[in-house]
Amino acid sequence: MRLNLVLAFALIGAGWGLPLLAHGVELEHRQVSSVEIVARFDSGEPMAQAQVLVYAAGNPSEVWQQGTTDDQGRFSFVPDATLPGNWEVMVRQAGHGAIATIPVGAAPAAPANGSEPDMTPGVEVGSAPNSLISPSTTLSPVQRGITIGSVIWGLIGTGLFFARGKR
Amino acid sequence: MHIPDGILPAQVCAAGYAITGLATWYSLRQINRRPDPTAEIPKASLLTAAFFVASSIYIPVPPASVHLILNGLLGVMLGYFAFPAILIGLFFQALVIGHGGITTLGVNAAMMGIPAMLAYHIFQSRNTLGKVLTEPTRTGLFAFLGGTLGLGIAALIFLALIIFNIPAELDAGAERAAILALSIAHVPLALIEGLFTAMLVLFVRRVKPELLEG
Repeated sequence: MRLNLVLAFALIGAGWGLPLLAHGVELEHRQVSSVEIVARFDSGEPMAQAQVLVYAAGNPSEVWQQGTTDDQGRFSFVPDATLPGNWEVMVRQAGHGAIATIPVGAAPAAPANGSEPDMTPGVEVGSAPNSLISPSTTLSPVQRGITIGSVIWGLIGTGLFFARGKR
Repeated sequence: MHIPDGILPAQVCAAGYAITGLATWYSLRQINRRPDPTAEIPKASLLTAAFFVASSIYIPVPPASVHLILNGLLGVMLGYFAFPAILIGLFFQALVIGHGGITTLGVNAAMMGIPAMLAYHIFQSRNTLGKVLTEPTRTGLFAFLGGTLGLGIAALIFLALIIFNIPAELDAGAERAAILALSIAHVPLALIEGLFTAMLVLFVRRVKPELLEG
């Protein structure tokens, strides 16, 4: 079964928010860029509870983060902006799986200290489906239909050709 | 049940190609020994088309969903043509539909093709092992056994291949449970394919019995 990895990317501007202080409890918030992946089988159903392994750029042998998808096949993680390059996400379940390569851009200089939040995204991400793993994701439904039709017609034609010679 | 690229280590993929090469050579040699090697090609070609399309037909078996394989049916109907037919069908499936992959083509072909050859021998043994049964029952029963066991053995090979190749980084317990669930989902599929094979063989036996002689 082939699996589609639909990658959705949340791009939120990075920058320090206002710290809230009260009675010894300190809350700080910060908006970071995260990457969300959605794993589905090509029959359309989500790949629930599949195991996800995230590999940081430049270190394909060591698992950077590990987790499982939820019931909708979703999983999200926050890539480390100090490690730009091609990150790899592998989703596997019961012998089915796929690998997606996610380019993570270099982090710009730290946002300036000002009252207005800097809207420059800290991490630039884009999608590049791995063509070796799922070659047919690049085809449109029409192209795929024509290809499948041609294959079937080729096989039927072969059958007709050899059937004709015998009669 | 197709194993995609990037799941198995390179050594296993290479071994799969080696086994597939041997099995293809053996099948083609058996075909070439026939009085007319091309006589069965129309049948083989049409069933290759059926095999190619079958993997797009999904059958929901809760909680998973499985798709038709038809390797047992090809074995019963085609004999030694089954292995080359499955190899060609898998190649186009990997290229066009995205089921399986080019690096794992050898593993997949061996996993489905060798049980298909076994299914052929099971079906051919109907005249020796099944002597006590009367004629239509005998053919139907052995076609059912061929279709069911062809898929069943392929599912067992799949199970073994995947379970012995779980990468160390994965949670092995959860992965093993998922693999077992998927394999159990193939039991009803094996019965469905067995019934389908028996129906097709009985139909062919009534309409064009010489097709079953090969």
